[in-house]
Amino acid sequence: MKIVMCVKETPSTTAEKRFGADMRLERRKEDAIINPFDEYSIEEGLRQQEKHGGETIVLSMGPATATDTIRKALAMGADRGVLVSDPALAGSDAVATARVLAAALQKIGFDLVLFGSAAADAYGGIVPSAVAEFLGLPLLSFATKLDEDGTTAKIERQAEVGYNTVETQTPALVSVMKSINEPRYPSMKGIMQSKKKTIDTMSLADLGIESGTVGAGASGEKALSAEKITTQRKGEIYMGNDGAAERVVAFLVEQKVL
Amino acid sequence: MANDVWALAEISGGKLASISLQLASKAAELAGTLGGSSAAVALGTNTQAAAADLGACGVQTVYASEGSVYDEYLTQPHVEALAALIQQHQPRLVLFGCTNFGRDVSARLAARLGLGIEYNVGDVAADNGEITMIVPAFGGSQAVTMAFQGEGTRLLGARPNAFATNRVGGTATVESVPAPAAPSNGAKVAGPFGTEGAAEAGHLGKAPDGHDIWMPAASGAKLEEAQIIVSGGRGLGGPQGFAQIEELATALGAGLGASRAAVDAGWVPYAHQVGQTGKTVKPTVYIACGISGAVQHKAGMGTSGLIIAINKDKDAPIFSFWDLGIVGDLNVVVPQLTAAVKQRKGS
Repeated sequence: MKIVMCVKETPSTTAEKRFGADMRLERRKEDAIINPFDEYSIEEGLRQQEKHGGETIVLSMGPATATDTIRKALAMGADRGVLVSDPALAGSDAVATARVLAAALQKIGFDLVLFGSAAADAYGGIVPSAVAEFLGLPLLSFATKLDEDGTTAKIERQAEVGYNTVETQTPALVSVMKSINEPRYPSMKGIMQSKKKTIDTMSLADLGIESGTVGAGASGEKALSAEKITTQRKGEIYMGNDGAAERVVAFLVEQKVL
Repeated sequence: MANDVWALAEISGGKLASISLQLASKAAELAGTLGGSSAAVALGTNTQAAAADLGACGVQTVYASEGSVYDEYLTQPHVEALAALIQQHQPRLVLFGCTNFGRDVSARLAARLGLGIEYNVGDVAADNGEITMIVPAFGGSQAVTMAFQGEGTRLLGARPNAFATNRVGGTATVESVPAPAAPSNGAKVAGPFGTEGAAEAGHLGKAPDGHDIWMPAASGAKLEEAQIIVSGGRGLGGPQGFAQIEELATALGAGLGASRAAVDAGWVPYAHQVGQTGKTVKPTVYIACGISGAVQHKAGMGTSGLIIAINKDKDAPIFSFWDLGIVGDLNVVVPQLTAAVKQRKGS
């Protein structure tokens, strides 16, 4: 079975974030991590491989330096990496990103494609469904459990109360929630081995994509300005258990909600 | 045509989700400002009842497509129906909810028809014929003003509760649209999880005094409309801790919220989750119990009127955006607070 895990390089969640003059998020190399949501799809791919055998491939679109991020996923245990990188891709929106990933997936070939449910920077959560549309395949989205038997993929899908089961035939695309598993830490051996693993690079020309259909110019939306949101909060601290309940009650009464 | 604004309703198992009314209200308002007409699209079962509710929020037309195929398959039948409608009528703007359903449907539509899409929108305005959107970024610390560029229909994904429901009264003209056939290669909904063991599924264990602890019944609508929300996180330690804040919520007549950590731990259903991957709420008072206050949680409650935080860790991030903070033991403070609230309400 050929399993492809799509990952995104994002700034660390604790990194200070600001916009550049072009109104794009400034991405600093030293802050770059694997999108935390994607650690769960990488883990799920590795678990499916442990069950069914086959090959695990990490696919990412990003700057040339994103090979470092792919290497981190390889250290967790994936077999090889593919990076789609091209100067014309800068500023691509979610739909353009999906177009590129779909083309790369077709070139790589797959039985199962795994995504995190969203990326921690933009929080769109729309790339997996758009990739599925470009490939003409169903998407099992927001999975909290995945069973795959070679012909059918079945998930438990988070619902308002409890779960639904949803299934489709393979090849299939699945996006996973954080509750699906507990991602492993790379072992020292894994880190050493990752340095010898292959990472192939593909350009837009390799994928047969016109540069005019991606990048900032093809984006359907643009940012005009940004401003800091400041809310004045009272910031009162009450230390200790004694009298705390009374203080809260008095506060609620002051605010006329009790 | 060129200035029409639509809302995509969310219907599941014949039940209209409350975000549909928020979207319909905003579609009616924007279409009025832009000088176009407004419509809602209702796909699923029991669409006649949905059409009445949507019409009451001011939309002039409801495109209603009745069919069980919408409940039987994820996303694909909805995209078929909606793509045909958009190509036929070419509205300027279609409003979606930033929910699992809305994200999946809008992404496919954008890919299929080459439409511009903006998501996580917190507010939208039409001025002199131009549409601008406010999108919160970086955990709600910045507000980015966005505009669409290019031609054609545009898709706008709104955060839940970004728009108010405005029941202006009214009756929409209902236009029936045939439901598509089942997709040959689709994501089929095989059934609800745990049907056989449903009675056991919500059972979380036994309290020290021997009584059973059950997962609280979901009450999503109440959460979004509640004046007070009592919300719990990992700091509660387990389902027993959660049962304590459920009692507090009941005493206050408050909605019950939860952080992702508490939902993932299985202490409370997803319907209660507040934050970036859950609901966005704006109560008068938000009481965070044992919630560290990660940016993902803040994104769902940071605009609450007043925030009360109860946490034993005075270095938790929640103590950077709070009004009243109690640094104490939840197991002591929460039961005392419940008793004090009951006493005050009784007197």
